[in-house]
Formats: sequence, C-alpha cells, structure tokens
Amino acid sequence: MSSRIPERIGGEEGSPRGRVRVFTVLAVSLFAIYSGYLFYLTVVRGNEYRSKATTIARQTTLIPSQRGEIYDSAYAVPFVLNTDSFAVNLVPAELPADRREAVFAKLATVLGMPIGEIKRRVPPAYYHLYQAIQLLGSVPYSTVTALAERIDEFPGLSWQSKPVRNYLETGSLTHVIGYVGDITRDELKLLYNQGYKTGDVIGKVGIEKQYDRLLRGADGHEYRTVDVKGRNVAVERKSIDPPVMGSNLVLTIDGAIQKIAEKALGPRMGSALVLRPATGEVLAMVSYPWYNPNHFSGLSAGDEYAKLLADPNTPLLNRTIQSSYPPASTFKTIITAGVLEEKAIPTDKKILCPGEISYGDRVFKCWTKKPGHGWVDLESGLAQSCDIYFWTIGRDYLGVERIVSYAKEFGLGKATGIDLAGELEGFVPTPQWKERRYHEKWLGGDTMNLSIGQGYMLVTPLQIADMMAMIVNDGIVYRPHLLKEVRDPSSGALIKRFEPEEILHSRISKETFATLRADLRAVVTEGTPRFVINTKVVGVAGKTGTAEVGLKDRWHSWFAAFGPWNATDPKDAIVVVVMVEATNQWEWWAPYATNIIYQAIFAGQTYDEAVDTLGLRNLIPRQERIE
Amino acid sequence: MSSIRTIFSDIDVPILGTTLGLVVIGILSIYSSGMTSEGVQVSNEYVKQIIWAVSGLFLMGLTMLLDYNRTKDYSLFVYVFFLLVLIYTSIAGKVVNGSRSWIGIGDIGIQPSEFTKLATILFLAQYLSSSEHVPSLRRLAAALAIVCVPIIIILPQQDFGTSLVFFPILIFSVYAAGIERRHIAFMLAGAFLAGLLTILPLWEKFILKSPPLLLFVLYRQPYSYFSLSVAGLIFGLATWGWTSFRKRYYYWISYVSLLLAGGIIVSSLAQKILKDYQIMRLIVFLDPSIDPRGSGWNILQSITAIGSGGFWGKGFLQGTQSHYRYLPQQSTDFIFSIIAEEWGFVGGLAVFGLFTLLFRRCILLIRSSRDVYATTMVAGVLGMIFFHFFINAGMAMGIMPITGIPLFFLSYGGSSLWTVMIAVGLLLGVSARRYGA
Repeated sequence: MSSRIPERIGGEEGSPRGRVRVFTVLAVSLFAIYSGYLFYLTVVRGNEYRSKATTIARQTTLIPSQRGEIYDSAYAVPFVLNTDSFAVNLVPAELPADRREAVFAKLATVLGMPIGEIKRRVPPAYYHLYQAIQLLGSVPYSTVTALAERIDEFPGLSWQSKPVRNYLETGSLTHVIGYVGDITRDELKLLYNQGYKTGDVIGKVGIEKQYDRLLRGADGHEYRTVDVKGRNVAVERKSIDPPVMGSNLVLTIDGAIQKIAEKALGPRMGSALVLRPATGEVLAMVSYPWYNPNHFSGLSAGDEYAKLLADPNTPLLNRTIQSSYPPASTFKTIITAGVLEEKAIPTDKKILCPGEISYGDRVFKCWTKKPGHGWVDLESGLAQSCDIYFWTIGRDYLGVERIVSYAKEFGLGKATGIDLAGELEGFVPTPQWKERRYHEKWLGGDTMNLSIGQGYMLVTPLQIADMMAMIVNDGIVYRPHLLKEVRDPSSGALIKRFEPEEILHSRISKETFATLRADLRAVVTEGTPRFVINTKVVGVAGKTGTAEVGLKDRWHSWFAAFGPWNATDPKDAIVVVVMVEATNQWEWWAPYATNIIYQAIFAGQTYDEAVDTLGLRNLIPRQERIE
Repeated sequence: MSSIRTIFSDIDVPILGTTLGLVVIGILSIYSSGMTSEGVQVSNEYVKQIIWAVSGLFLMGLTMLLDYNRTKDYSLFVYVFFLLVLIYTSIAGKVVNGSRSWIGIGDIGIQPSEFTKLATILFLAQYLSSSEHVPSLRRLAAALAIVCVPIIIILPQQDFGTSLVFFPILIFSVYAAGIERRHIAFMLAGAFLAGLLTILPLWEKFILKSPPLLLFVLYRQPYSYFSLSVAGLIFGLATWGWTSFRKRYYYWISYVSLLLAGGIIVSSLAQKILKDYQIMRLIVFLDPSIDPRGSGWNILQSITAIGSGGFWGKGFLQGTQSHYRYLPQQSTDFIFSIIAEEWGFVGGLAVFGLFTLLFRRCILLIRSSRDVYATTMVAGVLGMIFFHFFINAGMAMGIMPITGIPLFFLSYGGSSLWTVMIAVGLLLGVSARRYGA
C-alpha cells in the first residue's frame, strides 16, 4: 500500500482544499440551478403544461389530391384517367388489446378481406409495435371515406394515397404520355425543396414527367386538436387546408390522327410525326415498338420494366426524338435551299449524271445504276434525288462551311425544345470537329457525303419535321409542343393555353422558300415517289430519303412531306414525317405511310377507308390485315 | 492489508445508499415506461434491468474488494484491451440506432464504449500519479492523448455523446492531479472555441439567417485559412519574443494566438468528421421550435411531461405523456421525464438530491484520500457521473442538447448500469481503504 502522501495536490498554486472546493461549487450550483429550474417547470408553469398535456397533439391527416387527367386536343376523349387507390396501414400498439378482435372483424368487413389475412399481416408478435404495417395496398376511395368517417372505431388506422393511373390508350400514345411511379431516392434529392416527399407518386416519362407539377396538384391537410387518447377535442379548432386537385391537360394530339399514323406505320420499327407548322402543335407522334404502361402499376412492375430494358428493339425509346439517324436525301432539301439562296449555281445549269463518278481514289455511285440520270438541273436533280448532282454542287459550288451553316439555319444539331424529356440534339459535323475527333483532315469526299445527308450527320425525325415546317412558314419555326391547354379539373375552365413560340427565324428569303416549295412539289409529281404518293385529296410536297446503314438490301426509309403544298391559309398545312428503320424488311414504306396519312386526314377517312380508296389493300402485309 | 471483513464493515454507507436508491427508482420508472395507456405491460425491460442491477451489485462488490493499489499496474492492459474491443466493435459491431457501437451474440449485447470510460479513468489515474515530476504541460498533453485515442475510435461510430464524456473525465482528473490551472484553462478555452466554431456555420445557416458579427473570418473556408496563418504568425513571433526577452506579455500573446489557431484547426477538422445532423442536434436545443417535429419534438414532449407533473406528480403509473407514447426513448434517454411526470417536483428533487449526495461523498473522498492515484481516479469517476447527470437531466428539462447520453443508475441499459456500478465499486474500494495502513 502506498504511503506516499502528496504535500500538495494543487500543484504550485492552490491548496488541495482549494482545488476540491471547485468541485463542491460545481456540484452545489448544479443542484441549485437544476432544482430551481425543475421548480419553475413543474410548479410555476405546471398548470400551463398540464393543460398542454391533455390537449397535446395537433393531429394532421393528409387529404390526397387527385392527379390531373390527360385529354386529346378536342378535350373530348380522355387518354388517362385515375383509379383512386389507397394503402391502409395499422399501428398495432395503438390498438387496445380488448378491442383488437372486434376491430379486426370490422376491418375485415369494411376492407373486404378475410380476417385470417389481417391476422397474418399483424401477428401477435407485432402487437406492441409502434410501426405502421400495411394491411392492404389498393383500397378504393369510397372505402377510405367510410373508414375516415368512423376513424374513432379504428384506433391506430391510417392510410395514404396511392392512385393508380389507368392508361386508356395503351398504343403508340405511351411514348407521349409516359407513366408514373414511386419517387426514387435520387429524384427526391433533387425535388425535395419543391415539396415532394417520400412515398409520392411522380411522373417518370413523357407528359406525366414533363408536367408532373401541373398534374399532381397539392395534398391537403386536416388538422385536429386531439387529447392524449387521440379523441377530438375543441371541434371548432378543426381546420382544413383543402387539397388542390391536379389540373387536366389537353394535348395537341388528335386522337383520330394518332390512330391513323399508328396504323399507317404499322408494326415497323420507326416513327411517324404529324405536325401543324403554323403553331408547332404535334398532332400525332408514333414510335414503334411501344409498351403498355399499365403493367408498371402491377405487382410484376419490376420484371416488366427489366424485360422492356432488355428488349433489343428498345420499346422504351421514343424514336421521334430519342433516336437520330442520317437524314439521307431529305437533307438535299437544305442543300437546295442553300443553292437557291446563295445563287451558287444557275438553277437551270445542267450537270451530267453518268451513274458514277470518281473522286480521289474512290468511285461514288449514284443510287441509280448506269447510265445514270443523264443531264439534270436543280429541280430535276432534287426530283430524281440525283446523288451526282448534289455531290457536285456540294463539293464544287456550295462548300462545307455553307452547308453546315444552312443545316444549322434549319435547326439541325440543336434540340427543338419539345415538351418531352430526353430529346436528342442530333449532330452536324464540321471540318474542325473531324480534326479534333479523328485527327484527320476534312476531305472533299466528306463534303460529298454530307451533301447527300450521309456520313457523320445525325438528325431526329422531329428535326426533319421542323425543317419542313420552316419551308411551309417562310422561315419561321414554332416550338413543337404537346401541351395545348391546362384546364380546371372540376369546371373544365381554361387555365392556360400554350401560345406558339418562335424558335427559329431564318434570314433566307421568301422567294427561296417559294421556289423550294414548288421544287418539293415537283419531287412528288415527277420525282422518285410519283407513283407512291397518289392521294387526290391534297397536294403533297416532300422529299424521300434512303439511308445506307450497312445492312445489305435494307435501308432507313424517310419521307418528309407537307401539304397542301400551296395552302392559302397556313393553318391548313400539315407536316408529316415518317421514318422506317432499316431493321425492317425493305418495303420503301415511308412514302406509302405518308400517302395513307394524308389521304385519311384530308378526306376525313379512317385508316382502312384510306387504304381502300388508295387501292393499297394488297400491299398491306397479311398480319396487319387480320387486325 | 485490509481483510474482506474490515472492508465490508468500512463500507461507505451514503455512497451505497444513494446507489441503491437511484437504481430502485430507475427500475420502477422503467416498469412504468413499459406500460401502455391501457395499463398493459408491453415491455420486459424492467426485468432485464433487475437482472443487470443484481449482477451489477455483484460486480460492484468484486471491484470494491480488489485492492486498487495492486491492480493499478494492470490499468494499461485494461485500457489497451478495451481499445482493441472498441476497434473490433467499430469494424464488426452491430448497428443500433445508427451507431455501430454494440457487440454481442443474439439479443444480449454490450456497448464497449461504456466500459472504455472506466478503463480510461483508471489508466489516466495511473499515468498522472506516476508522472508527478514531469512538467505540467507535458503531463497534460499526455493525458489529452490518453483520452483522445478512444474518442478517435468512437467518433466514426457516430456516437457523439459517448465521446463527449471523455472530456469531463480528463478535466476532472487532471485538475485533481494538480495540473497547472492556466494549462487547464487553455485546454478548456480551446475546446470551447473549437466547439463554437464548429457550430457557428450551421447556426448561421439555420437560425440566424444573416451573417453574424465578424466571427465568420474564423470558420468560413477561405477566410479561416487566412486567420489561421495570421494566428500562427503571431504565435511564432510572440514565442520568439518570449524566449528572447522573457517579457510576460509575450507569453500571453502567444497563449491567445495559439488558442485561436488550435480552435480553427480543430473546428475545421470537426466539421469534416461530424455529420451535419450531429451538429444540428447541438443547435436544436437552443431553439426547439426550429424543428418541432424532429428532435425539437422530443424536447417539447419531455418538457411537457415534466411540467405537467406539478409539485406532487401524477402518481406512479399515472403519467399520460409517457403511456401514450408521446415521449420518445422513455426508458433510456428520457427516463427523467417519466420520473418528474409521475413523482412531480418532489421526485425530481429527490433524484437531484441523491446525485448531489453522491457527488458530495466523492469530493470528501478526494479530500481525504492520501494518494494521487486514488484521488485522480475518484475525480475521474466524479467527472463521468457528473457529466452524465448534467447533460441528461438538463436535456430532459430542455436546457441541454440531445446527445443520447443515458442517466446513470436510472436509464435502462446493461452496459451503462454495469459501468456505473463498477465505478461505485471503485469509490467504495477507495473509501474503505483510505485510512488503511
């Protein structure tokens, strides 16, 4: 045992007693302060806290808002409706033991589920839990109202809105409308400050995503002051923040035209667009293949989604804006505009097409075989889509800089800004880009490729539609859009209308556009598709395109058109772009589909009537005819 | 050498009495906390607590019997052993309430960090008692290092409250061991400054909403580096002045500038290590209304429970706040709220009184004990219990931050009960031997 007795605990300053006194002071003052404060809380303010304890809680019940519905352009046919649905939860520990059996029995009746199922979901081991356990996932609104009215009979019961979207039009509209799903953690991170919360349902794709804020509305709250047992007290203090119902959206999509375009494209990988150039309204937007969004709300949603993701035909892709292709000969339209505007070559100057020409160490073959188109000028070159003519003027008369600048003038290489997420920008190659990317010089051959829309250039079908819109509008392009109006969900009153918004205003002269329209009309009357476009109800002008993608005997098939080509009222004109991918069997289908679409729209016919009128019945593959 | 009989006959009755009194109150309150509004006992926590209390009494007796003068040579091994256990826990432990601070098999788990407090107290006392001839500042630095090792291991487990307890243990120990006051003051001021600078950025962001004072030069990133280099420069110059001219004011200039530099360095480190919500917890107590549904909710409910108890309380098992589950973690962190609700001001005062009596006995032990090891150890135990009481009772009354520190003796939990009962065993051992030859 140590016998060392320190003379001083306190070091050089302060005696041990002095040091110990500090501890004493600390302990005594803590006792004094805490006792005093406890006295203040319990005795001085005791009454205040006692009344607070009896009327302690302000209970908040969520009143879910209803998601807005989505309609066609006439506000007549709904594309999406809600099937309101709720999840009903129970906090077992809030349910008194002696009432448990009775409450379970009553719940079984109200929810229409066997009592055994309730007991399976809330086993005795959970009885002391203060955690909400889901009893049933899809309970209709009426049942929840019934429960809400008698909430006192169901201690521990709560519910939350889980509306199920019912997509009535499950065909090609899927890509436009999209679907909803539970908010993910990442989405919540971005949107938390905008009032989104865990468990919310949020638009994932398409209009549902783009206009989620308009569609969702805002949840309401009901505040009640309750005593410690959860009973209502002070009824007059009950107050309600009513929910704000989500707005109804009216789309620019015309249900009938959408159907026509959908059938005209048929089961071919590709897309079809119908656009009103005078406003930018998208009347039809079809991308094949599509998928059924209703599957995403079911129990096997995950599997369904995985299956779609793995599908080599990429049905999740909206090919009108999310796929880009070489524009092929449709790009000759822009070259023609450039030649006319720049007066790069007299329009009647003829160039000889011998079927093939040599440039550098390569032989460039026109799409037609020897002996070629013979002597062609601008109009016939465009009509015959003569590659040799455009190679020559592109390389020798216009040059790559001007081609690039005209491509950009028509909005290529830039997203159109349509109100759908995920739009691609396409690509306009430049000599600088090629040098940066491949460390190779831009060659005359590259310019030649570019002149016929092959090579590095990529466009989306929507950009091609906007290119035609600019020609129709004498240089103006309005933002393509799908939302026409926002309407009040209960009264149907107009809240907001989408006004046309200029996104491009070209400096190209009106004369150029007028000539171009006539030249494009000549393409249909005298050129490549003169036997295909045989509709009599409207004067269609347009340009074909056949893009090489390396598949033998298969090509991307484009047709970009507008009509009537000489409309007196610009509102009458309609742009149609059909794009059929090379993966399909080669049918040169794009002009045929366009023909059917124009016939049906302008004659007011259905798809089948139009097909019959045009005498195309025998062209339609068998499996389509069965449908 | 005292025999077992003399040790038991010399037992410190007030210490034993307060301990038993507090433990019994704790068990009763835990029983009450497990009761639902329907009068049904839904928890067996009180049974477990009784088991821990009984086994804790056994451990207490065992600790008392061990002669601390013989065991003190092993304190380093105990210390290192628990550090290793802590490291193991932080790698392979169970996560409970967001902290990876438990190890155990099945349902039985212990929190090694609780026992590490004791191990640290013992090793700290051993070091301080064997280093009396070492310069004061160096002793303090070594003592600081001894407590920092467990803190560094515990902090990543996100057990902020537990790591905080090591500071009062350190301060009480070094103070009793006779470290110079200005050095302790330096450490205290440094810790305060570092803490302040850690809190200020978030405080500014969430409470003040407007830039405060001119203090921001000390914690906002680009300015703080500048301030740091200025403080460092002044410190260098002043230290050079002090060593060259031995003028008193040079000493104090370097004292203050070093304080500032240290505060900036530690706070910027702390901001990197601590999670925002941990700092927020410290802030919310200043104004619970910032977050009335989050941690502020706990404080408001606790205050309401305590206040509604009144002078005499609502009576045993009659508490409403607790039984309707408005109180969170009522058997652990907020056990005092139940006591005050059911036993009122009188009950709360009794708890305060028992704790203060225990503190009083500890202080008497420090005063009467003859060797530095015993004195320092008792001071460490005092610091630990004092701090737990100070923080937890204050938290329940809404005047201290919520840090998840249990109220010793009363809160449900085997590790903390065993820890404090072993600590009392140490006190009883010192008490019984203080006059022994």
